[in-house]
Amino acid sequence: MKTALIISAFLGVGLLLPAALVAQQKDSVITLEKVTVGSQKKKQPFTAITPAQSLNRQTLQQINAPSVGDAARFFSGVLVKDYGGVGGLKTISVRSLGAQHTGINYDGIPVSDAQTGQIDLSKYSVTFVQSIDLQQANAQTVLQPARAYAAAAVLSINTLSFSTEALQRNRWQAGLRAGSFGLWQPSAGINLALPKQMALGINAEGVFSKGNYPYYVDNGSSSLNTKRKNTDVQSFQGEINMLKQFADSATWQVKLSGYNSSRGLPGAVTFYNERSVQHLWNEDYYVQSRYRKFFNHNNTGLLISAKATRSYTRYRDPDYQNNSGGLDNRYTQYEYYLSAAVSQIVLEHLTVSASSDAAYSKLNANVVGFVYPERKSFWNSMALNYTRPLWQLNGSALLTTINDEVKTGPAASTINKLTPSFAFNGKLTAHSPFMLRLFYKHVFRMPSFDDLYYRLIGNTSLHPEYARQYNIGVVYATAMKGVVKHLQLSADAYYNSIRDKIVAVPGKTLFGWTMLNLGKVSIKGVDVTAEIDGAFSEQVNWFTRLNYTFQHALDVTDPTSVTYKNRILYTPDHSGSALASVNYRQWTAGYSLLFSGIRYDLGENNPHNQIEGWGIHDVFVSRRFNIKQYALQVKGELNNLTDQKYDVVRFFPMPGRSWKISLLFNNL
Amino acid sequence: MNQNRIILLVTLLVAGLASCKKDKDDTQAPKITPGVLVLCEGLANKNNSMLSYYSFSTQTASTDLFANTNAGTGLGDTGNDMVIYGGKMYIVMNVSSVVTVVDAHTGLKIKNIDFLKSDGAPRQPRYVIPYKSKILVSDWDGKVAVIDTTGLTIEQDINLGKTNLEQMAIIGDKLYVVNSGALNTVNDSTVSEINLNTMTETRKITVGYNPGYMTADEAGNLYITCGPDYNTGTLGARLVKVSTASNSVLKVADTSVGRIKYYNGALYAASSYEGVKTVRKLSTTDFSQQSPNFVTDGTVIVNPYNVNVNPDNDDVYITDAKDYKTSGEVFCFDKNGKIKFSFSTTPAVNPSTVVFVK
Repeated sequence: MKTALIISAFLGVGLLLPAALVAQQKDSVITLEKVTVGSQKKKQPFTAITPAQSLNRQTLQQINAPSVGDAARFFSGVLVKDYGGVGGLKTISVRSLGAQHTGINYDGIPVSDAQTGQIDLSKYSVTFVQSIDLQQANAQTVLQPARAYAAAAVLSINTLSFSTEALQRNRWQAGLRAGSFGLWQPSAGINLALPKQMALGINAEGVFSKGNYPYYVDNGSSSLNTKRKNTDVQSFQGEINMLKQFADSATWQVKLSGYNSSRGLPGAVTFYNERSVQHLWNEDYYVQSRYRKFFNHNNTGLLISAKATRSYTRYRDPDYQNNSGGLDNRYTQYEYYLSAAVSQIVLEHLTVSASSDAAYSKLNANVVGFVYPERKSFWNSMALNYTRPLWQLNGSALLTTINDEVKTGPAASTINKLTPSFAFNGKLTAHSPFMLRLFYKHVFRMPSFDDLYYRLIGNTSLHPEYARQYNIGVVYATAMKGVVKHLQLSADAYYNSIRDKIVAVPGKTLFGWTMLNLGKVSIKGVDVTAEIDGAFSEQVNWFTRLNYTFQHALDVTDPTSVTYKNRILYTPDHSGSALASVNYRQWTAGYSLLFSGIRYDLGENNPHNQIEGWGIHDVFVSRRFNIKQYALQVKGELNNLTDQKYDVVRFFPMPGRSWKISLLFNNL
Repeated sequence: MNQNRIILLVTLLVAGLASCKKDKDDTQAPKITPGVLVLCEGLANKNNSMLSYYSFSTQTASTDLFANTNAGTGLGDTGNDMVIYGGKMYIVMNVSSVVTVVDAHTGLKIKNIDFLKSDGAPRQPRYVIPYKSKILVSDWDGKVAVIDTTGLTIEQDINLGKTNLEQMAIIGDKLYVVNSGALNTVNDSTVSEINLNTMTETRKITVGYNPGYMTADEAGNLYITCGPDYNTGTLGARLVKVSTASNSVLKVADTSVGRIKYYNGALYAASSYEGVKTVRKLSTTDFSQQSPNFVTDGTVIVNPYNVNVNPDNDDVYITDAKDYKTSGEVFCFDKNGKIKFSFSTTPAVNPSTVVFVK
């Protein structure tokens, strides 16, 4: 029930909507830019050296995006694998490289999961999010952790907590969202501007959802209309954020974060068997901190980052027919991470940066035959950035060293790899609306603990999976007067190749499969994006955002196989999104569309394995009320207007038509 | 650009989507005349079990006979075994947890027999064998269900304990059931003997750790594939011969065998998940290899998954599961290993059990 979930985006509407306030905020961002942390800078997606997309707070409020996973569907080139509903796993694959090649940054620090290698984005609410950015290859900033270079693309989640406004005044907000399928989502946050340039922020949110949305089982004369079962979700998350700005404009951030959830796993639709009793519990805690300082007339930058994480997962299947009353698997994962980065302007146009990161992760479990893997990872990066007024050139090299140890049996062999990236962008003249950009990046992903050590399935002789990306793109950006004020278009064509793709193949046991480096994938694609805004009159503003992706991701592993040059699983040739909104005084209304062409759920692309395409239409209307120094925002939305029946993952039905009402109360 | 153009653009995007859809093809339902029916297991959580049908008279094959004769209704998830008895097909659906009863002449579904525990949990049936107007079904819940073929209901369960049952064999009035315990942390090592007159368990015979597939000969011997022991890694895959007369293990050999089938004085061993990718012919006495590859004419089988023999003419059917994810193939050989015909089961994957329609 993505639809049943609340759109978490509206909490900041009060801060952003009126034009005057927007302008005011922009000004404050500009004046304070030097002292903010990199991730809080105003995004310039259309001038970035590699393709970048951003969803700001205002846009997040206009789409049906309860979680970061839902919001990410509005990026071009992206496939969000969604198992449906509030509690359904949502992972993001960028340009068909797979979820494990996508890096996730949360307030500037990488998020990781050594067990599965992928991050479940359904866990990340957008209620307190300032922006979500997706950047191909590397993030824009020069001063960043080395680990940020270790992914094919980086999705950055930036919260409100460390925005410059936090230092300036006290703010509070309280919200409640309710919707179809028993959805309730209360949230509250307070930010105190303390003396001595300090700020303290506390926020918390709960999500309660029954999630029992209706769906249709398409099975000939045994077809039936029924409801999803075992879909209850309860989750709580909270953060304490501390921000300190020193007199020399150095900043220090500390974040304590907790997430706790209990969710039923409805599972795949099985003909003639509607039973579903599996359950998942998560308990994640972490503390992270960043310290950033510029010295030497801002010629030298220093960034220190640290993080400690504990993630607990419990999976229960009481129906599993063993002699101990079912499965009850518990996993606890620990990670400790430290990073130091420096940047130095060495010549007028040349900046050099270097970073060094280390992480230690380990996984405990109550599973028989578990090998208790531990992993030490080291990333060392060096980057050069040469910037001229009309063009810039960027090169980086990343040295990754990964060493695993296990209690029993063999461990994966130590990995030591150097992987480079290059990027260029440029314009012909200062006033040209066109910009050309190119990039190449070579990167790999380490096999996850599950790939290597999962009982019976894991394979310790796996190598890393390599991905190469080539991109050429053009950006057109212009400002006008009249109905259209800003027009930004970008088109990027790319070729990606994957070798030694880690795939599951049968072979080791009667019931299980095993992991092998078997696949080669060739991906050709074009991403087109457009953002246009303007005003019909002084009081009527409009905004639209369009994305279209063409991708042809083919299995090129074995010319003798029937799957040769067939499309890889779940990757449509055509997909995209559209968003349009109109703002009149206190009113805002909007429409959004997401669509996907046909896909296949098995490597052999025959009609039986084909899954139909889909298109989802959402609408919303919101009104803002000012009451003295407070603002109340009321928003109503209808999701999946046409009640489209569709699956993103076959036999995991998505919600049909649903509604949501949201209230947000905050001070001005 | 004005608003109209934006609307046009959005419309084009939606139109583009609509044009991406392709219609699924419909194939005409065949009538069931003498031939073979192949149960293709499909893959778990994909509801893609199907029946492939090959007609001897037309010498043509078609797949998804069940859906074609039942208005597009699917068999369900992970068909594991099938038998024809008394003019009816009994198809065992492991993940859907039903036994589907089908008229063997028309292909029309008669009913689904639900395999549920009292709390609604699936019992997960595995194998089926007929005996004197009863259909016996082994289940992962450790019980053998006894289905009455007139009422088509489960009239009795024979409880063998907290184990997971696999293949069965009947010798005289005794039923033998493999207790694999494959879902338990420590697997089982026994075969249960059931007196079919009283429908009660009479003994457990220890055969070896982690037993799986089983076949019986006319002399009252059982041949059982066992192992390996994944917990300790000390025990590999074995083939075991057990005498039901003396309840003793007669022979153990270290060899990796998938499905095993006794026929006419020899053992046919498919490789399935492990071992060499050929069907070997083994001696029943010392398990020595009578031929490393039953196929003598060079026909290439990628991944022999199951072996079935037509008792009427000694033809041997070998199913090829390929990579378990793409369309399977079925090969028919004469008893000397020379190919007679073959057919693809596309789009069905993992063809396994073959039954013969007279």
